[in-house]
Amino acid sequence: MADDRDAAANDDLSLPKATVQKIIGEILPNDLSFAKDARDLLIECCVEFITLISSEANEIAEKDAKKTIAGEHVIKALMELGFDEYVAATKEVSQEYREHQKSREKRQTIMEQSGLTEEELLRQQEELFGRAREKYNQEAQG
Amino acid sequence: MPNPNVIPVRDVNIKTKFPVARIKRIMQADEDVGKVAQVTPVIVSKALEMFMVALCDKAADQARQRNSKRITAGHLKKAIAIEEKFDFLAEIIAKIPDAPSAPENPPSAATNSNDDEPEPPKKTRRPRGSGRAKKEESL
Repeated sequence: MADDRDAAANDDLSLPKATVQKIIGEILPNDLSFAKDARDLLIECCVEFITLISSEANEIAEKDAKKTIAGEHVIKALMELGFDEYVAATKEVSQEYREHQKSREKRQTIMEQSGLTEEELLRQQEELFGRAREKYNQEAQG
Repeated sequence: MPNPNVIPVRDVNIKTKFPVARIKRIMQADEDVGKVAQVTPVIVSKALEMFMVALCDKAADQARQRNSKRITAGHLKKAIAIEEKFDFLAEIIAKIPDAPSAPENPPSAATNSNDDEPEPPKKTRRPRGSGRAKKEESL
């Protein structure tokens, strides 16, 4: 994996302008426009926000004697920095992520437990689709 | 203890998502930050989304107060300056020129010109109204 620290040398420590522009468009009502200089300033503020949260979360993780920053540390950081109103939604996102991960792992396990290779599973799937298609076509004609 | 300054976040359903990998990179640009759990950039992304909504809404307020349909860096600067929890952005906005002060009554020919180029730093406009004391805005 590429060394993430090299990114500091690139311009890549910023957010993609097009993405930010799209999000601004979703936030603002149609009658207002956002000047380019405002957008660029907003991007800088966003990056600074990420840095602020990360730094605070890092300290919290260290106090927690943990080497890896966990979701809980980030959420605590938000509270420490006065962004209490963001906590409810971020907790929700964290919960959804956990459930998503669980269902992914479950699917993986089921696949592994079947004892079949991915190719074999795909082939069986195609077969099932084929049969279903035939049945559908017959019924459509009948 | 409930924070008395909690302003409820406007519930906006934003479909466009920030690139999670990019957020992780920015987080780890700080040398002190080591490993981060996979979920953390996702959480930061959500917080960032709400942060953006807050900033855009407040900047929009500033523009509307000046009867402008175009939100400029000056409006955003003002929105940031008047909010204590955005103090961490003080250095970033320092280099931005101020927007003209919001008039007490909306001026008649108000809108900024519709140029597409960012406005160069300019002096604040002549105060309107005859001799009436303008609202003091402290940064």
